[in-house]
This record gives sequence, structure tokens and C-alpha cells, in this order.
Amino acid sequence: MRRSIATGGLFAAGSLMPVSSTPANQPAQQSTTQAETRVPATIVDGRVVQPRRELPVLQKTSVLIVGGGPAGTAAAFSAKRLGVDVTLVERYGYLGGLATGGLVLGIFPLYDRNNRQVIFGVGEELMKKLDVLKYGIIDRNKAPIYPTIDAEAFKFVLADMVLESGITAYLDCWGVDAIVDAKGAVRGAVFESKSGRQAILADIVIDCSGDGDIYAAAGAAFEKVKTNIGLISRIGNIDEVDMAVGRGSEDAEHPVTGKPGSGRPSKGRVNDMNGHAGNSTPAPHVNWLNMKGPVGDALDVADLTAMELKHRRGTWSNVEKLRQKPGNEQVYLAETAPELGVRLSRLLDGCKKLTVQDIRSGAKFNDVIGYSGAYANAPEFQIPYGSLVPAKVENVLAAGRCISADFEVADITRLIPVCWVTGQAAGLAAALCIQDKCKPRNVNVTKLQNLLHQQGAYLG
Amino acid sequence: MTFLRRVPRRLIQLTCFVGAVVLIWPLLPWAIAPRSFVQASPFVAFASSIATRSISVGAVLALLIAVVSSFKKRWFCLYLCPTGFLLENTSRAGLRKARWWSKCPPVGRYIAVLTLAGAVAGYPVLLWMDPLCIFSSPFAMNKTTSLISVILVCLGLGVLLGATFIFGMLWCVRICPLSGLQDLLFSMRKALWTRLTASTSPQKFGVARRAFFAGAGGALLAVWARRVGAARYSKSDTLLRPPGAVPEDRFTGLCIRCNNCVHACPSKIIHPDTGREAGLAGFGAPVIKFDRDYKYCLETCNACTQVCPTGALAPLDLQSKNKYVIGEALVDNNVCLVPLGKKECDACERACPYDAVKITWDEEQYIAYPVVNDKCIGCGACEVVCPTIPVKAIRVWTQKPA
Repeated sequence: MRRSIATGGLFAAGSLMPVSSTPANQPAQQSTTQAETRVPATIVDGRVVQPRRELPVLQKTSVLIVGGGPAGTAAAFSAKRLGVDVTLVERYGYLGGLATGGLVLGIFPLYDRNNRQVIFGVGEELMKKLDVLKYGIIDRNKAPIYPTIDAEAFKFVLADMVLESGITAYLDCWGVDAIVDAKGAVRGAVFESKSGRQAILADIVIDCSGDGDIYAAAGAAFEKVKTNIGLISRIGNIDEVDMAVGRGSEDAEHPVTGKPGSGRPSKGRVNDMNGHAGNSTPAPHVNWLNMKGPVGDALDVADLTAMELKHRRGTWSNVEKLRQKPGNEQVYLAETAPELGVRLSRLLDGCKKLTVQDIRSGAKFNDVIGYSGAYANAPEFQIPYGSLVPAKVENVLAAGRCISADFEVADITRLIPVCWVTGQAAGLAAALCIQDKCKPRNVNVTKLQNLLHQQGAYLG
Repeated sequence: MTFLRRVPRRLIQLTCFVGAVVLIWPLLPWAIAPRSFVQASPFVAFASSIATRSISVGAVLALLIAVVSSFKKRWFCLYLCPTGFLLENTSRAGLRKARWWSKCPPVGRYIAVLTLAGAVAGYPVLLWMDPLCIFSSPFAMNKTTSLISVILVCLGLGVLLGATFIFGMLWCVRICPLSGLQDLLFSMRKALWTRLTASTSPQKFGVARRAFFAGAGGALLAVWARRVGAARYSKSDTLLRPPGAVPEDRFTGLCIRCNNCVHACPSKIIHPDTGREAGLAGFGAPVIKFDRDYKYCLETCNACTQVCPTGALAPLDLQSKNKYVIGEALVDNNVCLVPLGKKECDACERACPYDAVKITWDEEQYIAYPVVNDKCIGCGACEVVCPTIPVKAIRVWTQKPA
């Protein structure tokens, strides 16, 4: 895996070390002078070749977190609190990942089967910060209705926390490769940005990229899955169509009988959205509209491009259709999400692969780091630390949607609050590695669980 | 038979009573024990064999009992019948001691004739009056989920106990069709015997005429009930019978309301019908309702089909049961969360044990919705996990011909 992605390309595959001898904490301005020394790709015998070259080191850090989504930010905040040096890198220009840029505003699944909240820790802290904001979050503590956040409010909360916490963050900076030493252990990652291709050296890397780009580049085994890719949008003036729907409630009136769902549905009836489309958000008169989308390969740029274009066209025409319903004339498309709703792509082969049997049988793990809420017919279940640790590669941890789990389980662990859980655990585990000078797979689990408890996490 | 006279009758009755409880509970690791118990009644075994045009292995015991009873009048009632034992003791404690019922006509034998004639037409009209079936029914109580179901399963035995307490042994002696059948068999055997041994044959045209009218009435009733049942079913949307159920026109007749299926269901989704689903003819007959959390007709279970004594539920093996269509799941896309762009949900797709539900992306409408394919048997796994409130977006409905 690594060879096809590694920076050296054909000439220098697998021989990235030593990366650079430049001192740590190099000021960002100096990278511009280095950029002038770039050697462009050339054509040799009709093949495009990237020459071997030295990369400037942007920074040396203790814990490097690739991806600033729910998992990445949770990891950064929790690790920083233990006093270790944390660097957070995000490919988009804002933090929050799919929770903000993907408009996945529903904080679900938070509750167990008895409607008791089972996800706390950093996630709960973030929601508490949203609580005090006007139009920040709705339906808190109203189980089984799940809370809904506002994307802009959440971007504000995350930006504020990063600025206050002293975390070094790089936005608009795309993690493209792992830096691996001669023993195969990860030593950092390579990034592409307007400043060119740069390296960040780190003791521990947490892969919160969602697609597992870094652990895959480092040679960790993974399972590639394809599933539906959608694009969430927000529509405005929807409250004026139907006030009865209420916030997050799921009851709907039957169009013919007027009673909820009392008629026998005919086979294959065309959906008319009936004015109940989407879920209400903290912003007045605005609903967020989920989209399942077709199955696509989230690691194929052609698929991603096709989805971006077709989803935006499809969303617009669906809103036009919605507007044609009597009474819906005022509905408008407020925005489509900046990011595609990629659900799953790579799933790590970790020390422990969380399986469907585990969650059905209510498996208890000694190295439990948190819970996922109940989802559909799956009850709430424990997430083990082993599912964050790659089976072979050292110095890297996974968090977020790309952790080690069966497809069916990953379909739950990919959801926002569960990403907070795995992110926080990975952040604390990485910080423990720095403090105890150990490898992620040798982390003292009891210590980790105590730290999680101290930070308010729920471990059952 | 002589050794039986030496043992006190009450002791044998008590033993049989305890044995019956052991069989129905069931305390034995013998899944079909409740079925075998009810099948021991010759009335049930004969009528159901005629109605289904097949003979069950369990009917052999009934044949044996019938042969003995034709030689020894009411031998079954006096020694074996657990209902008889209960009622006899109730009547001892009861209000009427006088044998006033001896003046009443022997209704039981006409009920037996009527039912057997109905069975010929495929609908054994009053088979539910069998005493073993009435005895078996209240044991379903530990699988009932509502007060109304408790009342329904206990109704038969409750009425008999109450009536016996007030009026004495009227039921056993005059109304019970099983004792009536035994009387018939006894007198038929005797008549045959006399004809073979004596030169003159005593003719009783009156009895024969009444029996003929009862039989004709039973057959007519059966034909009428089948037509009404079929018509009702074609109009129904929510009537779901347990797996293995014979077509609805015969089901309400063949089903004797022993509630063995209610008792056998581990999911507790089989309920005695109040008449709401299938009308008066279906009163007390089992219907499926997915009203308990996450409980559906399990793909690992065929218990209900194994315990039916009459063949109203055919004895299907697990594989055939998992192909028996209980109903069809239909999706209301104006309630379902997926096409309405509400929360992430694939509960039905995940829950389906038969791969029958798929959330499908419709490129034309640019929307996704659950599509149910032909593999659906209506087990209800999707309905019970569907998260919409207050009404499920995916529900199992009575199957309609395509």
C-alpha cells in the first residue's frame, strides 16, 4: 500500500528517511524559501516521474493528529489537557469535519435502549458549550429525540477551543503520506498545502482522516468497503409549511386519511415528501435534509467528482419538486454541504476487530474505552481500545470512522458521537505513550481508563 | 378392565389430571406434548382427520380410546378426562346436587354429528367445544401479554366451571360433544352387536332422523362459514395468522382455540383474537400482532406449527416455516425517515433475516427508500425495529394476490 502512495514515487519508494535535519519548530515563513528549491515532476521514457527530494520539516511534535473532524478535535483537546505537545492538521478551512462541513447535524446515537445517555466526555463538553449559544443546539436531554447542532455554532466552538488551548493547528493542509522509519514504525506525516509538500515529525500519529489515509500509507492492513455516499443540504422556510412536525419528532400525517400512517401503502408508491422533509435545526425555519445517495468508492476521485456534481444538481431539482407542492412555495435551498457525506471507506485491521457478534452478545472488554449508543436493532455496545490500534504498524492510532470494525459495526461507530468517543480515547492513549515512553499497543489500559473517567467519559 | 376396578377411580382421575398438566405445561422435554394431549380426544382426532383428509400419528391413541369407549360406556369421561375430574369436583362443591339434567335431551351427540358432518365439508363447526382443548387453553396464560388475552384463554374453562358450580353436571352428561361421541359409538357398537346376534333389529327412527338433520345442518353451516371467512379475509388488511395456517376459509373452523400456539410462541406475538380481526367466526383464534418491543416471528423457531392438534397450523419443519408467507411488509414512504431525508436509518434492512428489504437508491427521483422483495414472508423483524412514532413506516399487512 505504502509504495503506491509514497512520496519518492518510482525512484525512492520506501526510502524516505532521513527526512530532514532542519531544527524543530521552524517558523512557518522559512518554508517559502524552501519551496523555491522544489524540483518538478519530469517525464522519463514517457512516464511521469517524481524525483527523489528532501522535504522541509514544518514542525516536530509529540502527538500529530491528522484530520480535524469530531474524532480529531476530541483527540486534540483530550491529549492537550495532559500537557503534551499536540499538532492538529485539517484539510478544509474549518474544523468539525462532517459534523460541520458535512452538515451531519444530528448527534446520534447518544442513548442506550432505555433512553439513557451513554456518551459523555469531550462530546458532552462540546455540547455544553453549544448550550450557552443562541441557536447553537436543540433537543438536548430529550431522549429518544437526539440533539441537533448548528454547523456555524460548532465551527465557532471548535475554533475558539483550539485558539484557547494552545494546540498547533494547520488548516487547508492535506495529509498525503506517512513517514516511516527503517523498522516500519510511523514517525510523522507528509502534508500538501499552499506551502508545498512538508513533513511534520511526531512521536505518535493519530489517524483521524476518516479514510485511514495515514495508516494505509504506513502499510497497516485494512479492509476497503464501498457504501452509499450522499450530500446533506439545508432547506429554508420549511417551518412555514408544517408547524406540526416539531423539532426532531418523527410523526407524520398521512396525506390521504389524515391519520398517521393508517392506510395500507401501495407497493412502490412515489414519495412526494409531503412537506415533512428533513429535520429541524437550531436555525429557525431551516431543516437539514439527509441524503442516502448511491454506492460509490470514496477513494476514487472520479466517483467523488461525479457525486459532488450530481448530488448538487439532484438536490436543487428535489427542492424545486418540493416547492411545487401546494403550501410549499416559499421553500428554498439554503446550502448543500461543502463536504460529501462519505460514510465508510477504509476499515483498519486492528488488534481487535469489533464484530456484529460482539455487539449482539453485548460483549464486555477489559480495554473498554467507551460506549456507542443503541442504533436500530443493535443495543448500546462497548468499544475496545484494541479497535484503535493497528495489528502491526507502530506509533499510529486510528480514531473516527476508520477504526477496526466489521462493516455493520462501523456503520454505527462512524456516527458523530461515537467518533468523539474513539477520538478522545486515542488522544489520551497517545498522550500516555508520550508520558510513559511506550508504544500505543503497550499502553497501560487501566491508566487510560482512569484518565477517561477523569475527563468525564462513560465506560459503563 | 377388571384391574381398574380394584384401583379407586378418583386415584386414576387424579393421576390423569396431573399427567395432563405435565404434558401441557410442558414439563417434559417433548415439544409436541401439548399437541398429543389434545389429539388424544377422539372427537378432535376424528373431525380434524376428516377435515384435513389426512391422519396424524397422534390419532392412533384416540382410536384406541374410541374402541375402549364403545365397549365401556363413558369410560374416558369417568377415568381419564381431566376436565371431567375438575367439573365433577366442582359440582360436588356446587349449588345443585339433584340430577335434574337427566330430563334434558342429549345435545352432545348431535353436536358431535353436526361437527363431523361439517368436517366432511372441510369446516368442523363446533370442534372448539372439545373438553381437552378447553382444558389445554388456560395454560397459554404465561405467554399472554394483555388482560384481554388472559380472559380469552381462560374463557372456556371458566364458563364450564362457573356453570357446573351453579347448574351441576349438565355439561358433562348432556352437552359435551366428546361424551356425546362416546355415547354414539357405544350405541352404534351395541346396535351392530344386536343386529349380528338377535334376529329382530330394534329400529329407532327418531334418533336417526335427528342425527340426519344435525348432519345436514352441520354441512350447510360449514359451507356458509367458509364463504363468509374467505370474503372477510379478502377485505382484511391487518389479519395475520401464525405460520402454517390453512387458508382462512377453513382456519376458523379447524382451529379449536386450544391456544397451544399462543403458549408455544417464544416471542409472545401470537394472541387470541377478540373478533376484531376476523369477526365472530374468528373469535379466540390466534392472530399475530407485532406489539412487543423487538419481538418478531423468529427464523430459528417453528414451535407453533408443531403443537397444533388439528392441522389448522400445518406441522412445518423450520425450512418450510421460513418460507411460509405470514403477510407482506409494505413501506409508507410518507412516514419512512429515509425518503424524507430525516436521520440515518437502515433499521429494517439490518433487521431482516431473509434479505428481503433493501434501502434502494432511485437515481431518477434522486431519493432513497426501502424496497421489499419477494423473499419477504412477513416475519415482522422490520416492523418491530422501525423507529417512527407513533406509527411504523414499515408494517406487515395481510398478503393480497398480486
